[in-house]
Order: sequence, then structure tokens, then C-alpha cells
Amino acid sequence: MSTTIANAVVTNPPARAPGRSRSWTSYVLIAPGVAWMLLFLVLPILMMVYVSFWTQTTFTIKPILTTKSWEMFFSSDTYLASLWTTVRLWLIVLGCTVVVGYPTALFVGLFVRNKTLSTVLLVLCVIPFWTSFLIRVLAWRPMLGEQGAINIILMGLGLIKQPIEALLFTELSVVIGMTQIYCVFMVGPVAFMLSRIDPNIIEAARDLGAGFPRIFRKIILPLSMPGVVVGAIFVSVMVLGEFATPAALSGRKTNMLGNIIVTQVGSLKWAFAAVAGVVLTLVMGMVVALLLRIVDLRREL
Amino acid sequence: MADGLRLEGLSKHYGDNIALADVSLSVPDDTYISVLGPSGSGKTVLLRVIAGFEQPDGGTVQFGGERLDGVPAHRRGIGFAFQNFALFPHLSVRDNIAFGLMYRERDPVIGQRALRTKVEDIIELVGLTGLADRGVHQISGGQRQRVALARTLVTEPRLVLLDEPLGALDANLRGRMRGELRAIRQRLGVTFLHVTGSESEALAMGDRVIVLDRGRVGQFDSPDTVYNQPASPSVARFLNCYNIFAGRLEGGRFVAGQAAFATGGTPRAAAESAYCIRQDLIQIRSSESPPRDGEAGILASFVTSEYSGASVQYFFEADGGRGVEVEAHLGHRRPEELMPRQPYNLVWNAEQAVVFG
Repeated sequence: MSTTIANAVVTNPPARAPGRSRSWTSYVLIAPGVAWMLLFLVLPILMMVYVSFWTQTTFTIKPILTTKSWEMFFSSDTYLASLWTTVRLWLIVLGCTVVVGYPTALFVGLFVRNKTLSTVLLVLCVIPFWTSFLIRVLAWRPMLGEQGAINIILMGLGLIKQPIEALLFTELSVVIGMTQIYCVFMVGPVAFMLSRIDPNIIEAARDLGAGFPRIFRKIILPLSMPGVVVGAIFVSVMVLGEFATPAALSGRKTNMLGNIIVTQVGSLKWAFAAVAGVVLTLVMGMVVALLLRIVDLRREL
Repeated sequence: MADGLRLEGLSKHYGDNIALADVSLSVPDDTYISVLGPSGSGKTVLLRVIAGFEQPDGGTVQFGGERLDGVPAHRRGIGFAFQNFALFPHLSVRDNIAFGLMYRERDPVIGQRALRTKVEDIIELVGLTGLADRGVHQISGGQRQRVALARTLVTEPRLVLLDEPLGALDANLRGRMRGELRAIRQRLGVTFLHVTGSESEALAMGDRVIVLDRGRVGQFDSPDTVYNQPASPSVARFLNCYNIFAGRLEGGRFVAGQAAFATGGTPRAAAESAYCIRQDLIQIRSSESPPRDGEAGILASFVTSEYSGASVQYFFEADGGRGVEVEAHLGHRRPEELMPRQPYNLVWNAEQAVVFG
């Protein structure tokens, strides 16, 4: 009853600025960005879609339209398996970065109330980025190998008798490597959202008698969701496009779509690489669209 | 009826900064208490210590006959309304208000029907009918204030602490909310402890007024007593309506620089000597008519005046550049035509002066 009354009140549309005609300065300001995006994003994507329908022979490629490359992609177990590997690794790594990153962000953004200290902690998270990507990936080899640091320590402590072989050149090592590399992209946005929460709000919830688990679930988590979504978009886009980490840490056993593209380009199979590229772009588009449905970022940020 | 709030020897400092120094007082149940103090007088710290957000360095808080040392904020039965309202930004008005009832650890209200009734009742009480399903960003400042109040009132605290509750509202709204707050409190029969930096707000709202002065209770009295008989020169200063002259008592007269004032009654003991006369008790006379018997006065030259509708504030300058202010209420007399830079006699009844010595 009272709900209908209240709803009727809510439907008053919020006042919006009248659509004034934009001045020429705004067009000038936006022109370089638009030109850049057209030249280096829209045009290449269109080109990629176009090339994916070209005719591929062993050494050459001809602009004769055919769906042969597409048929081959979707009838080959290898390629479908790599599509599944990509999606699976994406889900696992995304889950791991949330599990590792959220508590870190909670500590840095919410529990550390000293601004300087929380900035210092965030910088600490970024320090690994001072070395190159490839070195960070390869550094996991001496860590995870049969004679690696982790096995030596575990054996030294007497926790295991035989070195764990499954640590390196498996999907596990790829997940470990990617989680470490991409975790900070989750920590940053989440910590930012958490640090914006007014401490009085949490004090108020406490004063009203709610315990920490309730306050976390009902107040802190919903208010930090935009950060989680932004972080998830960063991590997803980067993980889906990965090829270097699986190449370096899986011993060529784990093939993501990125690895397929690298191999096909290497053997000059442009049409086929283009098909994989289009599929990958579509997957990314769907993932980002899905994530954006969770939270209305434009309203929250 | 259980005991109200009792504070004994509360102290709190941050480093060398003393926020509370030995605050002791006893607040009866079912009253509106305002706490007046300039910024830095420790009034917010006092509230936070009573609420349980901060632990005192010394002293005890007792409420309802129970010592509250170490009792966490939510177990104290004391509500808190934050200065910036601290509403949950992602929840609707209804969910904000229901939060405490639904999610408190101790006997939460589980029945949807009971919950709904309680929330609807309080929404009606604070005058938010029809806004229950709006987001807290879709309502005005005054309405947000009511949500903040309703959110704590619905949990039925016996004491509600309000930290500058009207500070975030514009002047117009502030005036209206004053009456509302008093009415709401009366209907519920709880005690309100209302912290404010505005003397007019403190005097208008409180059944009794606590004046805080550098972490101590400067005075705890009815608004009338605080206004007419401030307990110390600093209390008089916070009231913002007294002319205060520093000096010393000499044989029944108060000597302040070159001027000397007659005193009526016995001066009050205070750490600092001062002669205080309320701005609206001063008459302006020509320089040829000196104070008569039983009157005190000072010769000062007129500087400027400020017209504010119901009254005019006149600014004078006495010997040595000391400023003297006179407030004239226009309901009683017409504003005098005063000549700038001309001397006038400012005269008052010596009995009405408050003298500390």
C-alpha cells in the first residue's frame, strides 16, 4: 500500500541539464581522441574481422571471401579446448585475485586509517612492477621448480620428503604466476573505494548494534562493489589476452587463445589468427558487458 | 525510574592536548540538555566518550545505575546522531531506519510485520511519510537529518547524543528543526544531549545547558540562569552578548583602565576578575548626562551600527580602543541618530552587572 505511494513519488525524474548545443571547443577537444580510436582501434578490428574471411593457403593469403577458417576453428578440438582453457583460467585467476586482493585492500583501504601509511602500503604493492613483465614471470621458475625455492624450503622443514613436481610446468604454475602479476590491479580499485567510505558510517552501524560480519556484508561489501567490478575488468581483459605467462610457466602444455594467435602469426596463417582474434575480442566484450551489469558504475563512481 | 547519566571525573587527552579535564555531572532522565562550547572545548570528545567510541583516560560513565567502563558502544542503550548524518548511502530511507532493528546482534527484530510497524511508526513520528522508499540522496538535508534521528530512535535508546545536529542545515531549516527536535523528544520521553557551538541554539533547545570550557564544565544550569548569571567570565564570553571588562575590584568599585564602575551586590569569586554587562541592558545618553546614583557608565565614541530587523547593534570605542557593544531592540524605541566620532555616555543599572573578583 504505502509502497505504491512511495513509488509514485520516486518516479519524479531527476532534473537533467537541458541539451544545449555543444560549442566547437568541445569538438576540438575530443577530435584527437576520436581520431586515435578510429585509426588504432576501430579500423584494426574491422580489418581483423575482414581478414578472418580471407582464403588461406599454406604460404599465401588471398582476399577471396570464405568461411573456411571459421569452420576449421569450430570443428577443431584443439582450438575449442584452448577457448575453454582461456575461459577456465580467466575464472580461476579472477577468483584468486579477488580472494587474495580483497583482504589486502580491506586492510590498506579501511583498517589503516593513516593516509601516509596506506599510500606507502599501496606503493609496496606496486614495487614488483619496477621490473619487466617477462622477468617477473620467469622469476617464478626458480621459485616453483623441482629444485626450486619452495620445494627446498618445504623439504628443509621436513614437511615433504619428495619435491612436489606439480608446482612448475602445470596449469597451477600459470595460475600462481598470473595471480601474482594481476592481483595489484584488483587491490588498487578496491582499496580506493574502501578508503572513500566515511568512518562515521561504520561507527553508526556499530552503534546500532551490528557485528562486524553483518557490517561487512551489508555496508562495506556493497559500497566497495564498484571497486571490485573495475578491478575485475582490469584483470579479466589482461588475463584473457595472456600468452606470455602460459608460454613461460606451463612448458607449452597450457594453450590459451593468445598462444594460438602467436603460433598462427608465426607460421603466417593470418586468416586463422584473425579468427582467433575475433573470438577473443567477442569473449572480452561479453565479459566486460557482464561485469558492467553487476554495478552501475556511472552512478557509483 | 532508573538513574540518568552520571559522569565522574572524566578526563581524556591526545598527546599534550587536553580534551576533557575532570568532567563530573549528573543528567536527569527525560530532559533536553544542550552542551555549549566553542570549538576545541571538548564537546565532541565528551559525546564520543559517553557513546563508547572512545575510552576515557580517567573517570567513569554511569548510565541507568550501571558503570559503562569497557561496555562497547552498541551495548550501552545510547543512540548517536552524527553531525554529517552518516547515513548508509546505498540504502533507502526505510532500510536505513530498519538497519539497527534487523542486524543488531542482540535480539534483532525478525518478524517482517513487527519490523514494518516499528519502522512505519517512527517514519510517521519524524515526519518522513511517503519518502520511505527513496534513496538517501534523493531527499533534502532536513529530511536526511530526520532519517539519522529516526534510525537511532527506532532502536529505543533511553539517551540520544546529537553531535551538532543542525550544523549541516541552512539557517531557515535550522530554525524549524529546533522545534521539531524538542517535540520529538517530548513525545518519546527520552533524554537528548545536544552538542552545539551556537549560544542561541543552546539556550533555545535545552531544558538545561551545560557550558564546556577547555575540557571542564563551566556551568550547568537552566538557560535563564546561564544567560543572566554566567558562572565565570569565560561562560559570559561564550554567550556572545556581554561586554566584558578586565580589571580589579578596589573598595566597592571595579577599576578597568581609566574607567571605574559602580558594583551592585556582592562580586562572585572567580579565577579572573572581570566586569560583565549585557549588551541589551545598556542605555545610550548624551555626553552631558553622567551616570546617576546606582548606575554605572563609561564614556565612549560612536563608531558604527548594524541593523538586523528587530534590533540594532551599536559599536562604540572607549579609552584605549576598547570596544563596547550596545544592542537596542526596536520594539521598544526608535533607533537613535548617533553622530560618528562623537562621545556618548553608555549607562546601565549597576545591579544588573555581573562582577567577578
